[in-house]
Amino acid sequence: MRLLVLTLFLIALITLPLWGSRYVVSVVMLICLHVTIASMWNLLAGYSGLISLGQQMFIGIGGYTLAVSSMYYGFPISLSVLAGGVVSVILALVISRPVSRMRGVYFAVGTWIIAETLGITFSNWGYVRYGMGLFIQPAYKLSIPSIYYAAVILGVCSVLLVYLLLRSNLGLALMAIRDDDGASEAVGVNIFRCKLACFLISAFVTGLAAGVLYLNTIFIQPFEAFGIGWTVKLLFIVIIGGMGTVEGPVVGGIIFVLLQQFLSDYVGFNLMILGTITIATIFFAPRGIVGTFQNRFHFEFFPIRRQ
Amino acid sequence: MLSVKSLDVFYGMFQALWDVTVDVEKGQIVSILGANGAGKSTLLKTIVGLMKASSGSIRFDGQQINHLEPHEIVNLGISLVPEGRRIFSSLTVLENLLIGSYTPKARPHRREILDTIFQLFPPLKERRKVIGTNLSGGEQQMLAIGRALMSQPRLIIFDEISLGLSPLVVTMLYEAIRKIGREGVTVILVEQDVKRSLEAASLAYILQEGRVSLKGDPKRFTDNEVKEAYFGL
Amino acid sequence: MLTSLEPLLNGILLGGLYAVIGIGLALTFGIMRQVNLAHGELMILSSYLSLVFISLLGLHPLLTLCLVFPSLFIIGYLIQTYLFNRVLGRGMEPYLMVSFGLSIILQNAMLKVFTPDARSLKTSLAIQSLDVYGLFHVPVIYLVDFTGGIVLIGLLHFFMKKSYLGWAIRASGDDLSTSKLMGVNTARVYAIAMGIAAVTAAMSGVLVGMTFTFYPHSGTQYLIVAFGVVIIGGMGSLWGTFLGGLILGVAQLMGGQFLGPGFQLLSGYLILLIVLTIRPQGLLGRK
Repeated sequence: MRLLVLTLFLIALITLPLWGSRYVVSVVMLICLHVTIASMWNLLAGYSGLISLGQQMFIGIGGYTLAVSSMYYGFPISLSVLAGGVVSVILALVISRPVSRMRGVYFAVGTWIIAETLGITFSNWGYVRYGMGLFIQPAYKLSIPSIYYAAVILGVCSVLLVYLLLRSNLGLALMAIRDDDGASEAVGVNIFRCKLACFLISAFVTGLAAGVLYLNTIFIQPFEAFGIGWTVKLLFIVIIGGMGTVEGPVVGGIIFVLLQQFLSDYVGFNLMILGTITIATIFFAPRGIVGTFQNRFHFEFFPIRRQ
Repeated sequence: MLSVKSLDVFYGMFQALWDVTVDVEKGQIVSILGANGAGKSTLLKTIVGLMKASSGSIRFDGQQINHLEPHEIVNLGISLVPEGRRIFSSLTVLENLLIGSYTPKARPHRREILDTIFQLFPPLKERRKVIGTNLSGGEQQMLAIGRALMSQPRLIIFDEISLGLSPLVVTMLYEAIRKIGREGVTVILVEQDVKRSLEAASLAYILQEGRVSLKGDPKRFTDNEVKEAYFGL
Repeated sequence: MLTSLEPLLNGILLGGLYAVIGIGLALTFGIMRQVNLAHGELMILSSYLSLVFISLLGLHPLLTLCLVFPSLFIIGYLIQTYLFNRVLGRGMEPYLMVSFGLSIILQNAMLKVFTPDARSLKTSLAIQSLDVYGLFHVPVIYLVDFTGGIVLIGLLHFFMKKSYLGWAIRASGDDLSTSKLMGVNTARVYAIAMGIAAVTAAMSGVLVGMTFTFYPHSGTQYLIVAFGVVIIGGMGSLWGTFLGGLILGVAQLMGGQFLGPGFQLLSGYLILLIVLTIRPQGLLGRK
């Protein structure tokens, strides 16, 4: 039954450029990208207990790597996107040692500061044209459907990745850690390795998604790319959707992008409204839409508990 | 003085207390016993306002207190020495004691009460500038008791004070409790150390899986009665 | 040698200002164990409020404090009562997110109302500077900031050490339910504490407004300063925060002097990251 729904859904997604308008295609593309990035943030925050306020560092690095490798080094587009993912993982590796020593709030603030540091560094760096940003020339000649398919592949794969990860041994370990740090350590779960694996995976995929994102927007600037605005959006998506659920980022991503389209006329109010809705959700429905739904009806679309 | 009637308390969907009735007269030393998980802590927390009962009533000197906030209940004259001592880790011994006199009626008398407590527990006076949690287990228990006394309670509840302490220290603490009782303060003792608390009390209740299974003068209990009340064998 | 003395001295004085910025966070984060990510916005809100009072009543910026202090106290009290108290006891995460949401709302509200233009609280103090033995210049405003810092921290320290309310705030941060057993109305005590933190934000906001230009988004960078100061100096220690402020101030100005102006912010961030990695409990902090 679920398989049927899923297949229909995938068919609709894949064939969209054939029957959907350009506007619809671009909206769905944005949704897929946001779902990707949010799923990765959720992997960290909802499952590994690492609430990062600096995920934008991978978005910035991924985007700039795409820009630099395609423009300055003439890499083909797909390789440039891949490069974005690779450089993000390298960044994650480099900071993993110092960051692993930060717990809870310190981790949140620490990651935020690293992102801000990168932002300032890039805006003072002549190689990437300082704060003025870069126009990603090679992206001009790309067709909308090609970017769309890249986004869809990323979106579907990231949700699948999270699902499969959680059903694997790693996932079992993560959920054990989430329930009880000490007990899981006692049975031999290497907490550090598990969290590191999640950190690296999320960095990689976020870097890829950033590459595709900036292929679409064609213009990258340090303040926006490394800006805290990304975390605001991620927080909204994951909280509304439901932290710690596989479906949460999907639901949240859809709501967010649609809300953004709807509110785009009311410039300046949209972030305020997002903030208000986020706070209200934490008060009244802390498990998000999917979480509350799962509690009420005891039904999970992507079941991750072993039977 | 304290009258708990037909109390039902839930933790979410799990019922921890079933129709519990406990009566404490002024000046008594009452003991509440039971195995781990029998509901003793739940009962105490509900009396003191940290948890709410779903049905039943709690009256102190005739006044209903179920719906009151913990700080209001303390103001009426009930004090709890919590399980695990719960000494404030940022405060010194002296500050821990002084915060005990936070309620408005106790504040003006803090100097005198402090003197009394220092007489009762001399080590506290010596180490009054030390951070509270840097004391030994026995001293921390003294501090917890002293702190609870600072509000000049008419009813004081001791939750498992003998846990983790040597018998010598426990004897000393019980001496102190008897002294407190002689001053006219009503005492409720919740203990795992059956022997000690039955010796000290004039009335005992035994809880089993959230229900009162035995009640009466502990001097009259037989060993078998107690065992059965504890474990229901 | 003399070229490094001026930024050193000015760094110390600026550090006083940083300490004031951090003290509110030291109270909420270090003592109450609540992460208030909207602290920076409360500061900047105070700067804007001061601006409003100046244009309405023509007061000197320092005098507007008489009006800004009570306003911010009320705002802090209300925020705690209606927002933070609702997630009390649920762990650090809900706080993080609720205060984050609040900071976004405040930032964008200020953006809407006051436009993105640069502002400052104009005062002659900012332009005047003191000649020390004819060797170097110290902006008078820095001296004002520093003095303000010492006075504020001294007052707060005294309050925390010697008053019932101070003990109540500290006890509640240690163990919320046990402090209720002491007769402490924790909801109200936290609201008052938040009000006090907001008042310190007010002071730092007005001082910052007099010392530098500010924008609606300035809150973020000052929040990082506040965190930096509290983390370097150590959680739970008010004088530690002062020390943290001095270190950060010196690091920034020395960094700017020797590495270039673009490196001012970076030097501060780097020191903070180092401390976070090596000694997260800070210099004077306890565990």
